[in-house]
Amino acid sequence: MDKICLEHVSYVYSAGTPFEQKALDDVTLGIRGGCITGIIGHTGSGKSTMMQLLNGLAKPSAGRVLLDGVDINADVDDVFEEWKGQPQYASLSRHKAKRAMTAELKKRKKELCFRVGLVMQYPEYQLFEETVYRDIAYGPQNMGLSEEEIRERVLEAADFTDIDEELLNKSPFDLSGGQKRRVALAGVMAMRPEVLVLDEPAAGLDPLGRTYIFGGIRDYQRRTGSTVLIVSHSMEDMAKYSDDVIVMANARVLRHGTREEVFAHVDELAESGLDIPQITRLMKLLRERGLPIPKNIYTVDEAVSYLKKLFGEVAR
Amino acid sequence: MSNVFIHAENLSYSYEEDGGKDKHPALQNFSVDIREGEYVAVLGHNGSGKSTFAKLLNLILEPTDGILTVGGVDLTDPDIEDAVLLEHRRRVGMVFQNPDNQLVATIVEQDVAFGPENLGVEREELRRRVDSALETVGMTQYAQHEPHRLSGGQKQRVAIAGVLAMMPKCVVFDESTAMLDPGGRREVLDTIRMLNREYGMTVLNITHYMNEAAEADRVIVINDGELLMDGTPDEVFSRREELREVGLEVPQCTELIHRLRREGISLEGDTVSTPEACAALLEAAYTKLSKS
Repeated sequence: MDKICLEHVSYVYSAGTPFEQKALDDVTLGIRGGCITGIIGHTGSGKSTMMQLLNGLAKPSAGRVLLDGVDINADVDDVFEEWKGQPQYASLSRHKAKRAMTAELKKRKKELCFRVGLVMQYPEYQLFEETVYRDIAYGPQNMGLSEEEIRERVLEAADFTDIDEELLNKSPFDLSGGQKRRVALAGVMAMRPEVLVLDEPAAGLDPLGRTYIFGGIRDYQRRTGSTVLIVSHSMEDMAKYSDDVIVMANARVLRHGTREEVFAHVDELAESGLDIPQITRLMKLLRERGLPIPKNIYTVDEAVSYLKKLFGEVAR
Repeated sequence: MSNVFIHAENLSYSYEEDGGKDKHPALQNFSVDIREGEYVAVLGHNGSGKSTFAKLLNLILEPTDGILTVGGVDLTDPDIEDAVLLEHRRRVGMVFQNPDNQLVATIVEQDVAFGPENLGVEREELRRRVDSALETVGMTQYAQHEPHRLSGGQKQRVAIAGVLAMMPKCVVFDESTAMLDPGGRREVLDTIRMLNREYGMTVLNITHYMNEAAEADRVIVINDGELLMDGTPDEVFSRREELREVGLEVPQCTELIHRLRREGISLEGDTVSTPEACAALLEAAYTKLSKS
């Protein structure tokens, strides 16, 4: 079963006003668990809306969002028929059963915030504590963990994001921009969400800062086996770091598949207003100049190994 | 050769903390000359001092030491007159990273008029400047729109129009494309190039994107407050190892050619940083090989 499913999901902003806009239009898809999925698309394609739907921050105007097969927005009337036979409800009157179910749904809703961790754009603006340690510890504290567990979580998250232990007692406001970003990311990782969703996690960072951030995210995914979704404009980064790719355009899914499957349709991606990596553009230019270049090259590594082979063959 | 517009010599700036007890040098003995009409990209990792340099250029920050002359105005003069400073800031405009922090009015054309209106520009002249600035950045049709309903790229173009309405000689872009999507980034970059090519404006583009730097005439690299490199994009990107050491990368095409050469493939020509130049180089090598 897919970790996350969207069933005929639509989302409309400012419904009933002249500014009404469809951000998602009847989207159905399943996202594999235990890997990194990149969601790419230009501004207004619906990718940020999709991410807000995943932890209940926004509710779909139509359709259902399922996490492990369970509708995260279900209300008591949706579940009553299904749940009423369960032992904890079976002996209760209809009224009392409904009340118990409502309480259970509320509890699940709260848990959802911890199960699906959201890292917004420029999350460093949300730092507020006196020390880095306390900022990272804020999430685990709200989960009601013991001091010991909290400490373990903080150190683990600091390790994922390459934050030196000596930084933990500093004020987050004395750090560089890149470090602040990593502290904010650690704060979400410390809750050990099974689904980690990030909106443009490397925006505005220098190349080294980008490598740190994406390296940390990949570490978190590989070591915890969680599901990671990264919303990004950058096909270059997604070509490097994601296993699966979803391409959004005009509130719909244009492509969804493994990295290889999706990037094979690069011309179509260019038409949907995405930033084509230099390598991809170069390969296209070489094809136009008559060189035998296949369509599945989209990273520097792949270009090097293919061209090496090609030039070796011609030389013989 | 045209005149030097920005002249920095042994320029230094330190941030002070704790009432001056703690000093953090952000720029040290920094010397550079930038001529009128140049299009210069400024690279450097986060905290390298490149934004400090930008802020010194129109005296948002005051130099701690050294010489800084911009358009003939000595910015290290402690007795600089307010009128001179005001005129200087008009001539050196800045566009920052976050478009939402730069727009002040509720209607696009009012926002563009904000600067010159404060200078006391006459109504007729004001109208002319606003119209022309909006036309230059291609936003005329949005003159009556509300800024918050525009896309990021459109907002940045309105911010640029606001600077243009001041009729500057030089515009400094401090990571102005960092928060934009690829389409918005393209809009802003095309605008920057046009200001430089068609209006002869001196342009400094401070950026993290190597592909953007490849579009400039000249690239300077700042590291730990010091000038590390200065040259054409191809010259700078040919120093791949040094760039990597200071946390920067070269464009993908530069990287590809470098690695192919390391694999023993003979490719004639200099360092390239654009796909077009790279394709030409590879095609030439391929044709030569197939003929021999």
